[in-house]
Amino acid sequence: MPEIKVTPLGAGQDVGRSCILVSIGGKNIMLDCGMHMGYNDDRRFPDFSYVTQNGRLTDFLDCVIISHFHLDHCGALPYMSEMVGYDGPIYMTHPTKAICPILLEDFRKITVDKKGETNFFTSQMIKDCMKKVVPLNLHQTVQVDDELEIKAYYAGHVLGAAMVYIKVGSESVVYTGDYNMTPDRHLGAAWIDKCRPDILISESTYATTIRDSKRCRERDFLKKVHESIERGGKVLIPVFALGRAQELCILLETFWERMNLKAPIYFSTGMTEKANHYYKLFITWTNQKIRKTFVQRNMFEFKHIKAFDRSYADNPGPMVVFATPGMLHAGQSLQIFKKWAGNEKNMVIMPGYCVQGTIGHKILNGQRKLEMEGRATLDVKLQVEYMSFSAHADAKGIMQLIRMAEPRNMLLVHGEAAKMEFLKGKIEQEFSIDCYMPANGETVTVKTNPSVPVDMSVNLLKREMALGGPLPDPKKPRSMHGTLIMKESSLKLVSSEQALKELGLNEHQLRFTCRVPLQDPHSDSETLHRIYTHLKSLLKGYTIQHLPDGTVMVESIVVKVSSSAEDANAKILLLSWSYQDEDLGSFLSSVLKKGLPKM
Amino acid sequence: MESSEFEDALDEWFIESLTAYKDLHVYQLEHPTQVIEWTSGKTVCVAGYGSSKNQLLELRLPLKLFAEENKGLCAERDFKLLHGGFSEGPVGCLRHVPASRLIVTNDGQGTDLQVWDLGGDDSDVIRRTGTVKGRESAPQRGSRIAASPSSSPQVLHGAESSSVQLTHLTSGQSLYKLETDTSDPLNSLQFTSDAVFLAGCSNGRIYMADTRVSAAPQMSPPPASSGQSAVWWTDATADPQQASCRVVRLSSSGHAVVSDLRKLGEAVCQAQLDIHCSSDNVTVSWAPRRNYISVSGFSGVVEIYDTCDWRMELRRVRPLFQHRGHEVSCRQADGCDPVCITAHVWHPERPQTLLSTATDGSVHVWDWVEPDSKGPESKSEPSL
Repeated sequence: MPEIKVTPLGAGQDVGRSCILVSIGGKNIMLDCGMHMGYNDDRRFPDFSYVTQNGRLTDFLDCVIISHFHLDHCGALPYMSEMVGYDGPIYMTHPTKAICPILLEDFRKITVDKKGETNFFTSQMIKDCMKKVVPLNLHQTVQVDDELEIKAYYAGHVLGAAMVYIKVGSESVVYTGDYNMTPDRHLGAAWIDKCRPDILISESTYATTIRDSKRCRERDFLKKVHESIERGGKVLIPVFALGRAQELCILLETFWERMNLKAPIYFSTGMTEKANHYYKLFITWTNQKIRKTFVQRNMFEFKHIKAFDRSYADNPGPMVVFATPGMLHAGQSLQIFKKWAGNEKNMVIMPGYCVQGTIGHKILNGQRKLEMEGRATLDVKLQVEYMSFSAHADAKGIMQLIRMAEPRNMLLVHGEAAKMEFLKGKIEQEFSIDCYMPANGETVTVKTNPSVPVDMSVNLLKREMALGGPLPDPKKPRSMHGTLIMKESSLKLVSSEQALKELGLNEHQLRFTCRVPLQDPHSDSETLHRIYTHLKSLLKGYTIQHLPDGTVMVESIVVKVSSSAEDANAKILLLSWSYQDEDLGSFLSSVLKKGLPKM
Repeated sequence: MESSEFEDALDEWFIESLTAYKDLHVYQLEHPTQVIEWTSGKTVCVAGYGSSKNQLLELRLPLKLFAEENKGLCAERDFKLLHGGFSEGPVGCLRHVPASRLIVTNDGQGTDLQVWDLGGDDSDVIRRTGTVKGRESAPQRGSRIAASPSSSPQVLHGAESSSVQLTHLTSGQSLYKLETDTSDPLNSLQFTSDAVFLAGCSNGRIYMADTRVSAAPQMSPPPASSGQSAVWWTDATADPQQASCRVVRLSSSGHAVVSDLRKLGEAVCQAQLDIHCSSDNVTVSWAPRRNYISVSGFSGVVEIYDTCDWRMELRRVRPLFQHRGHEVSCRQADGCDPVCITAHVWHPERPQTLLSTATDGSVHVWDWVEPDSKGPESKSEPSL
């Protein structure tokens, strides 16, 4: 039976790292290769022993596909490709290819330089890994090899995030990565066509939530900024150069304009050029509004937002500063933080997740005293605010996506099965499809029912049509007889005669004969006539003939009468029929065995 | 409304909300609900009212709302779906049985009740466990339900004053029946103590009875009002700290009357609210431990009134606070009906927190800020 196997790698119930193995049509594909951000040891890497117990993965994987640049989806990629060993193609979208190495290098710096870890990938490994990347465009079918093809769809969520459609023969799978179904200020909503994959694989981390609206999150952000500014405090917003920063800048600009606020807003140097560069390159990945704005002006030419100079940090009075890097682990944002941390009127707003070991992570865990270089301690007196702006699909979003793609089966990863029985029930009820929820490390086998398209010979088609009945209808299957010829990659259905001709074989004819004893005092020809009359009355609707050569024909079945030499009354009925008339022949013989009706 | 105009109106309200609310959360359910019922200090139940299959959901409010110290470090703003189940028909009324994991529902059409087990940590499915039969044979409308505060699981239910009964959930036994002379359709059933309850009829009558005694109930006629064919809604305070229990009655013409439970026939104070249309899903509710009354169901707005401003003479009053979030979020450009509030509740402990839901499936959780003391404009106008 054809089937697709899916295994989310990991152990136990841990969430926070994506790495899924799919076996489809004889191909093995790895979807995402994330790092678990909560562990400090080898548990942070996926367990590749599922692929092979020892050695390199190249022979066991046909390709690796990365959905987007978040570390829990690509953080273990250099480890996998350079330290475990994989030389095959790694597919990701253009923006992901450009941004991944930056995040990986940042991450490597924090882990190795700051925390002094040793079993970790090097800068060179990141470079070598990225050399294996084959970039994808949206909606463009890419042939990985003769049989495997993939296509990327827009996922929203972050710049360059994609959902991937994977097809081998007539079996297919769609993997969503992280996605969202509601557009925001700088990215659109995920979209996919009615591709009807055999399986739709989706994360279920947020499947049991109902998300608070974007506007309320923004409101909270504006409220906090406004409150700090009003009391004369300074607000630091550490950001990664791309994505969220633009969105928050636009938000503040609109708010400042509306409220006629005077406090200065700055973004740190280095942010502008990089962000502009990337946005120019990937303009197709942002939404309509940004595109229009960008065409009209430079991404960072705001009325109220200006470029930062490090000396401004000492200026008195309120101000807002966007500075990199995002986790306060180095650079300008950390410098500013050190200056402002001691004043309780000030505020730092962390708009995203911070990796363990960074200052960002420590203050988000409530630490109020930090150990800095040279044994100096820093008292954290300013207000710390953690705000999550990341766009994820919730329960409603998952249902919307299923409605869009119309998969035959649903598979949810990274959730607790006991906590998702209701969602499973909802999906099964509304869409009448099975919903699987494998635990990490568990393999799910989904049976598929692929339709195999086959050419049919005209003769055979004509014969089938001649049998009457309705025209071919894909919703009403009909069975028919024929011979399937498989030549190279073509499949053709022909009639048996044609097949025999092509193969140069003679058709064998199968004929059955049956002898039925009968007691009848009449002559042979009279007995035959009696049989004829009997059958004619019994088998109405059939062609029954009494031929001059002394036989009765029922359709193409021959009936003869002969008698024994010793006893003229002991008749032998000879029935003969071909294989095609087996049913009727058997019926006739059983009828005649019962004898003839009395005259 | 142009798309950009709509966006601006929305932004305007959000800008105002910066000072008007301490916390604000806006959610969108897949299907609208007519019921919100607390199942604990942090969880509520909602349920759909479509004609065929509907979902019952138990939701946990966002953790950020409850974080006191270190509120800034909590980024959790979402509802968590704790348990869910399916109902064969619509849910018109839903009550939680105190100190249990049971809820009781009615479909708003018949008088039978469905009993459900919300479930614990081991499963997230809400399961149907039984049925309670109602008294009427041919009801015009669904039953109202009140869960008894007593320790054993009992519910008071009925669609009309003549068919109210108290049923023990486990045994199915009928423990008490309200006997009245007339059969008035009910708009509310409410316990004011362990055994004393009020049956609020839609014609404005209130019956007060004690489930422990078989004496005839006390009946209080509707307040004298200009609108003869008015429909009335009732709510009583359940405040253990108050010296006495107060009852408010609101008519469909906007006439609100406050009485003391011990003297229902007399008005303590009254007011004329600005209400124009009639509705099915009206909620009038006392704030826990305060003199505020909230009203919803006539439009897309929830209004809060301070009854301390109300007098013996009937005067027009203006609300202390209006939650316009649902109304502002509704896209009138689409040609759909304007949104209408279907239910709202106060949080039992947090004095400023309310939940409200509307016909478009929106659910808001809001923590409103008391407006500043009255300025030059007074909140009430000269007597009528």
